[in-house]
Amino acid sequence: METDNTIKILMVDDEVKFLKAISDRLNLKGFEVTTATNGDDAIDAASKGGFDVAVVDLQMPGTDGAQVLKILKQNHKFIEIIMLTGHATVDSAVECTKLGAFKYLEKPYDFDKLVEALKEAFQARLTHKFESNMNRMAAIQKLSLQQSPLGLLREMARLDDGRK
Amino acid sequence: MDRKQELFNYDSLALFGRVNASISHELKNIMAIISETAGLLSDLSEMAKGGTAIDPDILTGSIDSIAEEIERGFTTIRQMNRFSHSVDIPVGSTDLMEILDLVGQLCGYLAFAGKMRIHPCREASPVVQTSPFILQAVVYQTVAGIFKNTGPDTELDVSVQLRDDASWRILFDGAGIKAFELHAGDGIARMAASIGVAIHWEPAGDRLEMTVPFSI
Repeated sequence: METDNTIKILMVDDEVKFLKAISDRLNLKGFEVTTATNGDDAIDAASKGGFDVAVVDLQMPGTDGAQVLKILKQNHKFIEIIMLTGHATVDSAVECTKLGAFKYLEKPYDFDKLVEALKEAFQARLTHKFESNMNRMAAIQKLSLQQSPLGLLREMARLDDGRK
Repeated sequence: MDRKQELFNYDSLALFGRVNASISHELKNIMAIISETAGLLSDLSEMAKGGTAIDPDILTGSIDSIAEEIERGFTTIRQMNRFSHSVDIPVGSTDLMEILDLVGQLCGYLAFAGKMRIHPCREASPVVQTSPFILQAVVYQTVAGIFKNTGPDTELDVSVQLRDDASWRILFDGAGIKAFELHAGDGIARMAASIGVAIHWEPAGDRLEMTVPFSI
């Protein structure tokens, strides 16, 4: 259950000064921001959990933004990801959308639009979680009519598998 | 067909586009930092108007950051200008050290590139009569091809030596070159051939050698 309304953001960019300026601004707006300067650190930070939205630069040395997007979406069912890029192309936008990006913004962008996108992404995360919980409850109700207590527990464990 | 048309074909245009795209990406990053830092100052200013005490160090840090990014922007534009003017003369006296210096700067804008360490030439100034743009393109794509395979954490030692009485050689060492292919493939191979440049990669010796004739 969501008990805290502060939106927790993971901000990933290899431009350290950009990361500092944007996270300072977002903190002033009431967001809780954690930063990572490369893809591997971002994946490590996300593995500790607790992020609602990640904002990921597409072009980074080493593990690039598209790989980070793919791994975060695989490992964290409800995280929403906004991609940032200094070089927007139709191909990269399509690729990111296919990999599950919530939004794709080109640098330099309007700060207010980023804030709006973060709020929309957070809302989408809550909706997604709510729907998933409703589906889970419906599945449990259905199973409880058909299964023994042990069978029910086993099926519930299966339903919860990979749910982060 | 005159020399200019012979040298500056689609391959050249494609390279010109790629380099300009990497420069524009750098400029966008700079603009994004300036924009966000200016935005932060604006937010802090609004807070100060509302009576919130603002730490002066944050203000100083932000202003310094903007000044540094403006300087970085000017440097980037200077490199862009040098690169753009390299097509002015189809063939002319070209200093290999200047070519390497510019290539080092331009490769710095590639996300996957490591660092180029250019060693001073021990012999006389290595000047050749060639197409500066084509040579620059070949060196740039060679270095990009090396870094594509070695990664952003590597350092590449680059030096220039007199090879024989007709050519110089540029040596690329020390980045652990395990595999190599020209970054843009056939197009660059054609460009190298058009100015008599030969590229030889020796996997066992972790060295790539480029031979540049005194004159084309």
